[in-house]
Amino acid sequence: MNNKVILILLLLLVPSSLLQAQSVPPTPDQKEELPLKGDGGSWQKWGPTTGLNGGGFIVRAGYVIGGTTPLPLPAEVRKINEFSPRGGISLGIDAYRMFNRRWGVSLGAHFFWEGFHTSADVKNYYVWLEQEGEVTKGYFTGTNVTNTEMWGVTLPLLATFRISPRWNVSFGPYMSYYFKQTFTGEVYDNSDGIGYLREDTPVGTKILMSREKPTSYPDDFADHMLPLNAGIEVGFDWKALRHMNVFGKLDWGMTNIWSSSFEAISFKMYPIYATIGVAYRY
Amino acid sequence: MNKSFIAAFAVVPFLLTSCVLDEKENTECDIEEVSLHLETPSDYFYHDYDTLKTVISTESDIIFIIRSYAEIQSVPTTLRITSGATVYAVSEDGTEKPFINGSAVDYSDEKVNKFRVVSQDKAWSRNYSITVRHDKPSEGYLFIDFESYYLDPSGKYYVWDGPDFFNDGTWKNGNPGFKICKSSALPMDYPSTPAIGAGPDGSDCVKLETCDTGPFGRMANMRLASGSMFNGIFDVSNALTNPLKATQLGSPFTHKPMQMRIWLRYERGSVFQDRNGVAMDNVLDEPDIYLVFYRNEDASGNKIVLDGSDVLTNPNIVGLGRLPHHVNPDGSDQLSNDPIHGVTDQWQEFTIPVVYTAEVDPTILENKGYSINFGSASSWQGGYFMGAVGSILYMDNIQVFCE
Repeated sequence: MNNKVILILLLLLVPSSLLQAQSVPPTPDQKEELPLKGDGGSWQKWGPTTGLNGGGFIVRAGYVIGGTTPLPLPAEVRKINEFSPRGGISLGIDAYRMFNRRWGVSLGAHFFWEGFHTSADVKNYYVWLEQEGEVTKGYFTGTNVTNTEMWGVTLPLLATFRISPRWNVSFGPYMSYYFKQTFTGEVYDNSDGIGYLREDTPVGTKILMSREKPTSYPDDFADHMLPLNAGIEVGFDWKALRHMNVFGKLDWGMTNIWSSSFEAISFKMYPIYATIGVAYRY
Repeated sequence: MNKSFIAAFAVVPFLLTSCVLDEKENTECDIEEVSLHLETPSDYFYHDYDTLKTVISTESDIIFIIRSYAEIQSVPTTLRITSGATVYAVSEDGTEKPFINGSAVDYSDEKVNKFRVVSQDKAWSRNYSITVRHDKPSEGYLFIDFESYYLDPSGKYYVWDGPDFFNDGTWKNGNPGFKICKSSALPMDYPSTPAIGAGPDGSDCVKLETCDTGPFGRMANMRLASGSMFNGIFDVSNALTNPLKATQLGSPFTHKPMQMRIWLRYERGSVFQDRNGVAMDNVLDEPDIYLVFYRNEDASGNKIVLDGSDVLTNPNIVGLGRLPHHVNPDGSDQLSNDPIHGVTDQWQEFTIPVVYTAEVDPTILENKGYSINFGSASSWQGGYFMGAVGSILYMDNIQVFCE
């Protein structure tokens, strides 16, 4: 479904401005425009080392936390019992170029390892499992545990806006490519001892589940995950030191992680991960 | 300001996951339990516990059995149903009125009382019937030829009629469990199937075959399903969590069985596998046939029902007859490569005597205080999901002689 979106983003990600983002010495004209004292001095002090409309690189290291979730959370999910991040490392580089004192553009490549573990109580949650031509389907009530981990690279193309000498905010589309994904889980009874599948319909045969013998997701779930995801990134940079930023960003996936032919999970799921970290600014 | 800004980012995913929507109304509509309230239950029922019936999820015709001479009229009845659901009493002309727990229901003349349970969300409903039937005296001789069989309501597998005293008059087997694993299986692909014209006398017989349970069986670590036939209840709800307990074995019986005669023919599957599907060298698969007679109530009047875990070992067993097998010094089954059961690929009639280890009290016997269980399997360790895929036991013309 999202092939078109992904293509458009790919095209967006090859801007000619990137090539010009290398250090370009400020022209004499620009120098004249810039007052060197008062507020203007601060803008220059914290600005790109090559001048207020220059460019450069930012190398980032961050901690990633988030989840892959249906939005909104379906009513079948009654309670989140546990949530813990898995992995949570992001290492990346951005090339940026300022067009003027306020506005600029940035293109990055952020390598990540992210994921989570969650345990949720669900009620009447429709499941449809197919294995080698055999189908088991029905409505599950009980506890559902999910673990997912993803290794990949995110390419954000962002508009950056400098709201003050030391504060930048950024916004724009991104595309992620996953080198490897895992998606595992199991179902069993909840803390009240209730765990069962109603086969086919809510009036079908009741099949009990227990935590002594949890039923695992089939091994092939991850095979149905798409290798590409596109979304919107928002972020900020705070220039803590002359060359060091503290940054935060949120990557909000807008495309379903599942292939459209995958029926085991009846709703679309989106990766939503935040990163906080420090960056070195060249 | 800076810290709170960062914290705000970290909190976003938690906010997303914590927005749990309002709970939807229940969709289920089961009768889970029925109890009849009688001042003197023993005037009607053989056991006091017979006034309470737990209804399994696949059951919709609920039958109570009373003494053949008892005259029952209207009895206050309580139904335990799914939370939020509503139950209606359906009259003969089809009109419905809400049923209030504890109100009297007319069970005279084996009247079939109909009920309809509607789910809280009103989208689903189930029809039930509750009947009180008189016990039919059983004869001290049984002859079973497996000629009466038909497809179950789902059309997926066969069901066989058994003697009247069997719980609902039908034989039970693992077919309902196999259906969960192998949705693609046709009726003749199931572990328990009729074999048309294949009996020793040229009539139909039963074919029990140990079958591979496919990918879902592997996921549940239940890689094979032995063909089986037994009398009692198979509660498929427990098939995943506790398969041995899913079988509630035996039916109350008022005669003391002494001997069973049965026609058998066996084709052994080639590779015996353990529960993990690993081939076991030097082990040959064996069929099993047994007849168990046991006391069905303990000293305090509690119901005793044997299940797959103790059908041959429960201390309440008074009599047992079984095909011969090797046993370990502690009496448990011993796997071997030289079986002594004697069943071959040619039809033979076997005589299996019932050996008694305790006295049978005639008064208790008369009052249905003992239960009889007939068990059969194409793989004798099938209850533990061990055996050889492809083992086939043909079975026909069972006779049970009683004292």
